[in-house]
Amino acid sequence: MSDQTTRSGILPDAVVEFKDIAVVIGVLAVLPIIFDTTGTYQLRLLNQFLVFAAFAVALNIAFGHTDQLFLFVGAVAGVGAYTTAILADILGLTPWITFPLAGVAAGIIGLIVSYVAARRKMTVIVIAILTLSIQMAISEIFVGAGDITGGTTGMPFNGLEIPILVDAIGISPQMATYYLLAAFLTIVFLLYKWMMNSKYGLAFKAIRQDEIASEAVGINVIKYKVVAGVTAAVIIGLVGPLYAQTERYIFPAMFSFQAVDVLVLIMLVLGGIRTFYGPLFGAALIIYINHLLEDAGQWRTAVLGALLIVLFIYFREGMVPKVESFWETKSVQRIVSSISKRFPNQ
Amino acid sequence: MDISTIIEITIDGFARGMLYALLGAGITLVFGLGSVLNLSLGMFAVIAVVAGVVALPIVSHPLLAALVGVGVVGAMSLVVDQTLLTSVYKSEGEERITLGIFTTLGLEIALAGLLYVYYPQTYAIPYESFLIPIEGVAIRSSTLLVIAIAGCLLVLLFLFLRRTYLGKATRTVFQDETGALLCGINPRAIRTIIFVLSAIIAAIAGILWSLQSTVNVESAFQLTIFGILVSIVGGVRNIKGTIAAGIFLGLIVTYANYLIGSYFSMVILFSVAVGVLVARPEEIA
Repeated sequence: MSDQTTRSGILPDAVVEFKDIAVVIGVLAVLPIIFDTTGTYQLRLLNQFLVFAAFAVALNIAFGHTDQLFLFVGAVAGVGAYTTAILADILGLTPWITFPLAGVAAGIIGLIVSYVAARRKMTVIVIAILTLSIQMAISEIFVGAGDITGGTTGMPFNGLEIPILVDAIGISPQMATYYLLAAFLTIVFLLYKWMMNSKYGLAFKAIRQDEIASEAVGINVIKYKVVAGVTAAVIIGLVGPLYAQTERYIFPAMFSFQAVDVLVLIMLVLGGIRTFYGPLFGAALIIYINHLLEDAGQWRTAVLGALLIVLFIYFREGMVPKVESFWETKSVQRIVSSISKRFPNQ
Repeated sequence: MDISTIIEITIDGFARGMLYALLGAGITLVFGLGSVLNLSLGMFAVIAVVAGVVALPIVSHPLLAALVGVGVVGAMSLVVDQTLLTSVYKSEGEERITLGIFTTLGLEIALAGLLYVYYPQTYAIPYESFLIPIEGVAIRSSTLLVIAIAGCLLVLLFLFLRRTYLGKATRTVFQDETGALLCGINPRAIRTIIFVLSAIIAAIAGILWSLQSTVNVESAFQLTIFGILVSIVGGVRNIKGTIAAGIFLGLIVTYANYLIGSYFSMVILFSVAVGVLVARPEEIA
């Protein structure tokens, strides 16, 4: 019933907006209770889910809303992780202090790429190839600069721990990382919600529909694309060190195109591009499918590939919009209303 | 660095450049003609090698094995064209491009998964390479073979596009799809021919590549990337440019490899691509 009241506009907008965020917080809070988290494996899956959900929201902002197909999510996350770890090491500081610099470094990359791309009026395909080339170059640097990155073997990273949580409440370090990631993801979702409900969301919509027309009505296309690109890059850059914290290790392969970008793309498309819940559901489903296919070994890769093909040809809208449109069909509405008539008191 | 070393590196670089040019041509043909960026191109190259190695005990000669490899890839590409690409070609413009990226990426991953399951090792068509000394310069016979075969293939491709009716029809579709249709050319049929042709070119490139170094599943994506970079640097709809870019990048990579090491030669390769993309993005779009 509350659904109908919100739709009729009785509740103020702020509450309606908060509803989605509350759902996210609720889901994130309940997950460790539903799943048995005494085993580290389950916790690792949950942490992976949070990491990839954050990546997917970032890609949603860049690709979904402003057509900037970033195929260097892994590389940018890697830059964030290596920046945090290496600077902390060199300066002898705790990674907590160098952690924000991950966002700065990633943001600068996003700024340059988005600015140049918008300025040179690059199409989706050019941005895709450009970012993929950057991804490949950065991956080679991670391996090649072995003196500071540890090369293919990588380096252990355990700097973003929360000893207070671990000691005071007595939860496991991985559980503490879960809450850290959950808090981060909530902030990311808040940011996304705010952005899409502000003038930015409106401008993104206008630019996507007709770039020239939006320019004509005074929308600064370059500015808005850069804002989206930088926001996405900063989120990705900050997820990097958190991702490393969940793995307790940094190595080039975990930031490769195949390990990150492919998954994030599938998640975003599966969940529903340009939707609020899409990245969350997409990430959950793919991490779950990945887990189910754990025993299948390399068949997993084959299945994921086939899934990507099927999704793109037949299911481009994604899960969330499909469910929503199904929900809004007359027959479902009729069933719902007939059920609610039978329980008039509720 | 003495003069004979420079010559040896230059010849090696030239051979590598020819292989890059073949891969680049594979990307250029399909992208220029149907706006599909075939991200599974490198996989075709690797599958040709794997199929050849699998067939070797049956056909008992490396050349026949290589032909079987090329044949398998040709048949496979025809199936892909009739199934996946038909869905892709139903959409238009930018949507076709993104759809093409994702379906061929999906195909790449799916095939990579299958190769991981059944053929996870490294493979090469067996060829006993020997050193040919010419005036104090030692050249591997495999290098000469690569240059000869790739060179012939590139010349044939060029002549095909310039001289034959089919080639002219192809170039018409390149330039103006509606116009081609009005001239009685069936763009879909042309696209099928070109897609299979590009896969066969990639297959030959893969087999030539395996004469000098082994390939495995991981090589596939790398080969695709090489093809894309070469195609971009050469100008996406330009076969002549692609060939020149392939040789240019092959020389750069080989020299950089020798002088500063393999990882950073790759960084240079990608940086060149980034530079070209930033300088003239409108050519690719």
